[in-house]
Amino acid sequence: MAGYESGLKVTQMTLALNLVIALLLGPLMAGVVRKFVRARLHSRQGPPVLQPFYDICKLLGKEDLRSSSSPIVDFAPIVVMAATITAALLTPMGMRSPLAGHGDLIVFVNLVTIAVVGTVMVGLSSASPYSLIGAAREIMMHIMVEPVLVICLIVAAVKAQSLLFWHMAEGATAGGMSISMVIATIAMLMAMQAQIGKQPFDIAEAETEVMGGAFVELSGPRLALFQWASFARQIVYASMLAAIFIPWGIDLAPPWNLGAHLLKLLGVYVLVGIVDVVHPRIRVEQAIKFFVIIIVLSLIGLGLAIGGY
Amino acid sequence: MDPLTTAVVVLLTGALLTAFLSRHRLMAGYVALASVILASISLLRLSLWIFSHGPFETVVPLLRLPVSGLRVHLIVDQLSAVFLFIIVLVAVSTTWFSLRAMELCKARSLIRFYPALLLFFATTLGVVAFQNMLVFLLFWELMTLTSYLLIAFETEKPQAARAGLLYFVAATVATSLMVIATTILYAHNPSHTFEFSQLRDTLGTLTTTKPVLANIVLALFLVGFGTKAGILPFGFWIPVAYPAAPTVTSAAMAGIVTKLGVYGTVRVFLDLLPPSELSLVWGSIIALLGTASIVVGTLTALQQTEAKRLLSFHVIGQIGYMWLGVGIGVAMYHLHPAIAVLGLMGGLFHVVNNASYKSLLFLNAGAVEYRTGTTELDRVGGLMHIMPVTTVSAIIASLSIAGVPPLSGFTSKWLIFERSIMAGLYVPVFIFLGLVAVFISAVTLASFMKFLATLFLGDLHVGEQVAHREVPVSMTIPQTLLAIVCVVFGVAPVPVLWYLYRGAAEILPGMVPSFNSLVGTSPFRVNLTLLGSNSAIGATGAWDPLLVTAVFVGAMLFAYGISRLGGARTRKVPIWLCGEEHSYQEIMYSSHSFLQPFNRYFCRLYPELPVPKMRMPGLLLKLLNPDTWITYPAERLAERLARAQTQAGGRALVVYLLWAVALVVIVGLVLLFAHT
Repeated sequence: MAGYESGLKVTQMTLALNLVIALLLGPLMAGVVRKFVRARLHSRQGPPVLQPFYDICKLLGKEDLRSSSSPIVDFAPIVVMAATITAALLTPMGMRSPLAGHGDLIVFVNLVTIAVVGTVMVGLSSASPYSLIGAAREIMMHIMVEPVLVICLIVAAVKAQSLLFWHMAEGATAGGMSISMVIATIAMLMAMQAQIGKQPFDIAEAETEVMGGAFVELSGPRLALFQWASFARQIVYASMLAAIFIPWGIDLAPPWNLGAHLLKLLGVYVLVGIVDVVHPRIRVEQAIKFFVIIIVLSLIGLGLAIGGY
Repeated sequence: MDPLTTAVVVLLTGALLTAFLSRHRLMAGYVALASVILASISLLRLSLWIFSHGPFETVVPLLRLPVSGLRVHLIVDQLSAVFLFIIVLVAVSTTWFSLRAMELCKARSLIRFYPALLLFFATTLGVVAFQNMLVFLLFWELMTLTSYLLIAFETEKPQAARAGLLYFVAATVATSLMVIATTILYAHNPSHTFEFSQLRDTLGTLTTTKPVLANIVLALFLVGFGTKAGILPFGFWIPVAYPAAPTVTSAAMAGIVTKLGVYGTVRVFLDLLPPSELSLVWGSIIALLGTASIVVGTLTALQQTEAKRLLSFHVIGQIGYMWLGVGIGVAMYHLHPAIAVLGLMGGLFHVVNNASYKSLLFLNAGAVEYRTGTTELDRVGGLMHIMPVTTVSAIIASLSIAGVPPLSGFTSKWLIFERSIMAGLYVPVFIFLGLVAVFISAVTLASFMKFLATLFLGDLHVGEQVAHREVPVSMTIPQTLLAIVCVVFGVAPVPVLWYLYRGAAEILPGMVPSFNSLVGTSPFRVNLTLLGSNSAIGATGAWDPLLVTAVFVGAMLFAYGISRLGGARTRKVPIWLCGEEHSYQEIMYSSHSFLQPFNRYFCRLYPELPVPKMRMPGLLLKLLNPDTWITYPAERLAERLARAQTQAGGRALVVYLLWAVALVVIVGLVLLFAHT
């Protein structure tokens, strides 16, 4: 109880840590995977590791071209970025998250939904058919993928008998592996690719097909915010998977638990990167069929968790 | 005279006055507003008194019923006080809004509107104020009658007449089922009274001695309250009645009538029914019906293209959340009081929040209708350019109903989700109900994004003759008031939860866990705990609206700063269509196609019920149409008298005012006489 109370304080250290991981490590990891996994598998040189940062900086100075006068286009990038940052502050990243005692699973799910809806609204507020198709696909993917995330997190919540992420992470480490958690981990890994918009599930953006989907009409700083938020979102999901579903390292002494988390993150990123390279994109109805199976799988896991397995 | 009777008398006087003043449309509105505000002051004082002193009890002088020497006690407990607050909030804002909104129905005399509206508010007070089943049913049925008059206000419209009839028949059948249930209880009550305290014992005995009969009684009550609340299979009248009624009526009814259905459910299933195995079964049924309503109501709303119809389906969906919360409270109380009380508080909190934002949304639709003459989502758009206040309040209400933190709808939904997941540890079905509710919450958001995007955001397109102005101040004030409630209850939920806890704890038997053990000790943050199971952990859920909002706003400022960092210039360009040229109309995305891929998968979940064509005996039809036998004769009489007075030298207005004074004096004398 005392440990919990002390954890309620927003410590500046974890605040800085989570912000650095989400905003700086996110693009960096993407650059690393691009250079050392993706390019290596393609047998080519690849862009510099810091290329994502160069892209963001360049876009911030570019002209902001508007094809729609809707205020959604003004607000959505900012809201999406803010929702992603707030979600990142709720996510355990090696240590107790800065907002640990101030929000829980449901708050996190709502913040993630706000980010997705913001993206969809940008797509819908433009009259470009590409952007409309992208937005519609984004909704469909969200409706199919979000349940997997929530159900898997609820499995962990049931095991820990708490909806706070820190308890879920600690409970998973202390309780060891159980059948339901193994199933949930598998389901989370399967859904990971779609959650962060990588092949074979980059259906909504699909650059070669609908030219970036919802983002087709965006340019300059607004596109930069969306890209940055997308890097941050990738690392938030990866951290969720690493902290709660890979039950190792949370209970190490302070600098080492962070190290363990970064190691786990790297593992997740490399895995996702490899799958991304070796798979072609699939169609939306194929994705839906795939995720129906994953949802059923995770529901079975939830049933087992309630049963105590 | 006690505050409640004062309020009722003020409302009745107001009803009489507005009946006589109905020719002076604006003046009738002001009189109605004045009486509603006076009554509200009295009721708010009563609510505050109850929250500081406990239940308010008195014998009403006017209601010494001649039935078996019955002296009806007026008992307003803390649960009722919560509903009094809702009635006050909705009554004041809708009446205020109606001042100018009723200009839309210029062809109809207001003699059928304001008196009915004020009588409707008075009857709703009666519903929550008595702990006596007979009086409760009496006011319940009077409420049906007055709200029927309100729905069928524009009788020359066929859909309004049909909607009114449908509502009346549905509500009356439901009430008759409740009368049967009450009669069964009365017959088995040794002391033969209708007092709740006696019926509680009777129902308690019945559950052990005659369980089948007890189940029948509970089922009858469930159907009765479910019909008024608008829960799935019984709420078929809502999408027919609300769009057909004047918008002010829809706002008042969506804010009050459906909520009183929840009040009745809480009264019967938590207050009258002792916690037992039976309440587990019935609680699960309530939660299941609630979840079914959430799914079907919200998914059907997604396909609507008319604002009021869209909102009506969301009424069904939102009632589902309340029933889910109440169901958890009913089912879990004897298993795990902490989960049950919080579930019930979540349900009640959702009732309060829903009353504010659902009324507000209907008022928004009313404001759009007032300015543009239509509520079709595709016919108008971009209203933010001419109606900023309405737009901002519509955005707040939409985000609130969609459960976007930190607005009020989020906190209540959050409580319901949390508790259904925790209840799932004991009764697994609840976890799946909670899951469904979480996902449909995202669908609600999508649906209201469509509502906002098509009506308010984007480029302005309205008809030729629409004035480019905000609606009058008398319509923006109530919208602002309700929007403030949505924000305040979301940002500072703990004081509200404290009042709701008092209301819930009062009707629950046995040891109710203390407030601090349920939601923590912080006045700003809600820390949920799960007593008894894993106490080493402490809190199991947390929501800190102030801090998270501050972080969110900080992050928004940061993001804005980043976007300005490069000093990028803005330039307006046409849409890039790969070099081809299209007109806007060719590629326009209307509300029909908005969520088409989604609709393809979930279409036709809510079948259009074939409503049987009903013919009623002529006498009943005539009775139901008080135009012919009371309102018009009364108005003619009043007019004749007034004309006679005017001819005698006085001026009409002065006479009316004199009449007003005379009436107050007469009513006062009657009360004095009755009291002594």
